[in-house]
Amino acid sequence: MGLLDGQFVPALDGVAYGLLLFVVAAGLSLAFGTAGVLNLAHGTLYAAGAYTGAELSDGTWGGLLLGLLVGTAVACAAGVLLSVATAPLAHRGHLAQALLTFGLSLIGGTLLIEFFGADQVPVRVPEALDSSVTLLGHRYPAYRLCFIVMAVALAAIGTWVLTRTRAGAAIRASADDSEMLAATGVNPRLVHTGVLAAAGALAGAAGVLGAPIIGPGPGTAETVLMLSLVVVVLGGLRNLWAIAGAAIVVGQVQTLGVSLVPGWAPYLLFGAMAVVLVVRSRRATATGTAGSQVGARTGAADPIGWLREQLRLFVAPFAAPLAQLGRRVGSNTAAVPGAVRRGLPPAVLVVALAALPWIVDAYALSLVGYALALGLLAVSVTVVTGYAGLPTLGQTAPFAVGAYTTAVIADAGWTVGPVQIVVAAFAAGLFCLVTGPAVIRARGTTVLMITLAVGELTVVAIDQLKSITGGTDGLVGFPGPQLLPGSAELIEEMEVYHYALVVAVIAVAVTMLMLRSPAGRLLIGVHGAEERMRASGHPVDRYLLLAYVGAGALAGVGGSLMAHVRQYISPADVGFEIAAFALLAAVIGGTVSVLGALFGAALIVLTRDWVAASWPGYGPLLLGVLFVLTVYLLPRGLAGLRGTPRERAGGGTGGDADGVAGNGTGPGGGTDDGDGTDDGAGGADGLNSKAEAVR
Amino acid sequence: MSPSTRPLLSLDRLTRAYGSLTAVNNVSLELPAGARHALIGPNGAGKTTLLNLVAGTDRPTAGRISWDGEDLTRTAPARRSRLGIGRSFQHPIGIGELSALENVVLACWRHHPERRAAWRRAERLRRLRATALEQLDAVGLADVAHRPAGALSHGQRRMLDLAAALAGRPRLLLLDEPAAGLTDRDIERLLEVLGRLPEDVAFVLIEHHIDVVAQLVDTVSVLVEGTMLRSGPTREVLSHPDVRTAYLGTTADDVDPGGPETNTGGERVADEGRR
Repeated sequence: MGLLDGQFVPALDGVAYGLLLFVVAAGLSLAFGTAGVLNLAHGTLYAAGAYTGAELSDGTWGGLLLGLLVGTAVACAAGVLLSVATAPLAHRGHLAQALLTFGLSLIGGTLLIEFFGADQVPVRVPEALDSSVTLLGHRYPAYRLCFIVMAVALAAIGTWVLTRTRAGAAIRASADDSEMLAATGVNPRLVHTGVLAAAGALAGAAGVLGAPIIGPGPGTAETVLMLSLVVVVLGGLRNLWAIAGAAIVVGQVQTLGVSLVPGWAPYLLFGAMAVVLVVRSRRATATGTAGSQVGARTGAADPIGWLREQLRLFVAPFAAPLAQLGRRVGSNTAAVPGAVRRGLPPAVLVVALAALPWIVDAYALSLVGYALALGLLAVSVTVVTGYAGLPTLGQTAPFAVGAYTTAVIADAGWTVGPVQIVVAAFAAGLFCLVTGPAVIRARGTTVLMITLAVGELTVVAIDQLKSITGGTDGLVGFPGPQLLPGSAELIEEMEVYHYALVVAVIAVAVTMLMLRSPAGRLLIGVHGAEERMRASGHPVDRYLLLAYVGAGALAGVGGSLMAHVRQYISPADVGFEIAAFALLAAVIGGTVSVLGALFGAALIVLTRDWVAASWPGYGPLLLGVLFVLTVYLLPRGLAGLRGTPRERAGGGTGGDADGVAGNGTGPGGGTDDGDGTDDGAGGADGLNSKAEAVR
Repeated sequence: MSPSTRPLLSLDRLTRAYGSLTAVNNVSLELPAGARHALIGPNGAGKTTLLNLVAGTDRPTAGRISWDGEDLTRTAPARRSRLGIGRSFQHPIGIGELSALENVVLACWRHHPERRAAWRRAERLRRLRATALEQLDAVGLADVAHRPAGALSHGQRRMLDLAAALAGRPRLLLLDEPAAGLTDRDIERLLEVLGRLPEDVAFVLIEHHIDVVAQLVDTVSVLVEGTMLRSGPTREVLSHPDVRTAYLGTTADDVDPGGPETNTGGERVADEGRR
């Protein structure tokens, strides 16, 4: 009884917290369940509401009401903006939309800081509520009680609208079958906009009312987003009561849990999320969702398509002569082995990178070194996302394992570089072997969420295991690598850089060889037609697990490099943001191109640390713009700009089928059969865009 | 035909329920090696579900599947394929970005005697490709072997799917509406390919074209609403009065208890036949 009594206040706090999360998560689930938008900017909408509320509330009821109106309106307008922004991506799958909304959230976050400052903003509640009442012998803030009442009212209204009105019926119908709804005369576009506006309004209202509970500050958006993602995952998408239940549970974990078992609460949260996702994905059949990432392209009338076309035309004049030159060189030097011919551009790149220390300053050099480490992470994401077909936000976990393993064993005296690399790769691979079974059964967006949970749990674990990882302070001062036992420690910037370059080149080369070998074909097959592969006797799960473990080992190597290049690691280096960057880098590269992913990573580091250095504080803004531009203008990444697009699985509408001969075969290949240029042996590795992209 | 007396495939009171809907209800069936069998029945009768149960993509809620005397009920689809059960799909899926040839190479990969370490030895890979090319030739796709599967026509994709199923040299072939949407020429090709199968290879065919059924199979099972209505030699079953009323819907006057529903089934078949 004493325990119960002592925990009364946190338990009631948990209810308030939970109801707040419920209102936010209901909007998130509405947007995802009916409009199909995985809205990673949802937390930003809440933050916008919270800032507005804090700004306008002056301790009077009028102030609160005004804040509520304005905050809700602002977030609602932002919701409409989101619907306009995501509408052209409707056919491109959830990944593109998630990246776009993440980019918009980075931009929105910068704008909020610009307007309201970078500090925590104090919130004033109406004076009548700024007191505490006595409840069962405990003093409790009146505002929180009042909030509980308001949140319940909001939930009741929402439920009523959804279940009892025509608009609600249209929304529910849209979730089931939007084409059918369109056939009954309701414009699905209107429903899309309406749903996102309503979701935005909910987040905004929750922000204004909840500001005294989760206050406006720089970290607000991410906290709220993460917690409401957990709620949606636990509660599912369709049932409001289940979401409410999940929200209360999460609220209790965050308050009662922290009060009872501090340190375990975060594990509980993301652990529960991972368990639910895994159980659910096991129950659902895996059919149908694979390969749904790529759909029909948007109509010719859309402005983005036009822009994209302009970009292509802009690049074409430069690309065409180059391609022609390449082809001429190729045909003239038939005597030169194909491997040499194809290997030339990467070789030039490597030589240029090796010469870099004599060209740029030390700061730039360290950035390039960091880009190499991040590049390996991005390549690892490419393998998992593009080849195995599992879109991941969690490759930062093996990356972290590799980084921390390196730092810890270096401190313990294992300073030989190659040994560290092997140990880091092994540890990261082992980590993936353990987490893999939970990841490889799921498909599509579920994978994004499971891997997100894996990544977050890893960060939580790093935070908690202070004695090993240094917690949030990170690790610093571990010795640099030695090339051989007994040789000198690499301390100079240039030495470390060259060490990183050599390791990265070897890792990338091994990866490319693996992907281009028939083993890579097996992965492409699984991604392209999983059921067919199973029906042909392929142990698909084993392939996916191997790919996941291999990619994890690669990420581990990247982590090891990062530890040495930065000579400092902290949880922020392996967090959600880095995971999103790595995914973006992979997407910039076209998700199936190893070199493209490296370029993507370089572009991101360049944007965040190099360009932004001359424009301090605007790094996130620039990155956000990069996200948005990538999603709109590079649907197939940089690889798509080379003018050899080919509609992927199921499309069949064929852009200009590049044809192996490259001599302008008609769309979709007419009746010609001029593709005999690859003879028997060479044919083994020509033939498809992925193989091209790997180069 | 087969020296062994036990059946190749034996389904023992298989049931598959989805919540309150029982898609397959207490179905038993035995097929000897080399059997040529068709599953017919109106839409929604549970034919594809039954096929999926045999292929392993779906699990029965009750009942047993035996293969060559071995219990197969809980075996994964990939393992069943390696044991000799091949299948085609109702909606054929190919690996769009790989060539037709590579699709078939991947399909025979796990079955070919050379499969061990095929990816390390160019020589072995080449032999795998030769086998695949033969298979493509057999279904008439040799001309388009190097074209990406995503660029093939519907009929070609169906044939590619068939080639992939055959590439595993199965002892039992499950074919889900292989003739749907095919042109007359393609159907002829299909009949020819299936007619040329070795004698000890069995197949189970789901098909709405009654003439295709009559031409290819020796025995037929009729499924209605998940239950086995009748099973036996083709001619006998098709001419049985129960089957005629329940499935073929002989005349409109022939009103029976399940009237409206079974009639729509019958019309559906007539539609399919006309196409």
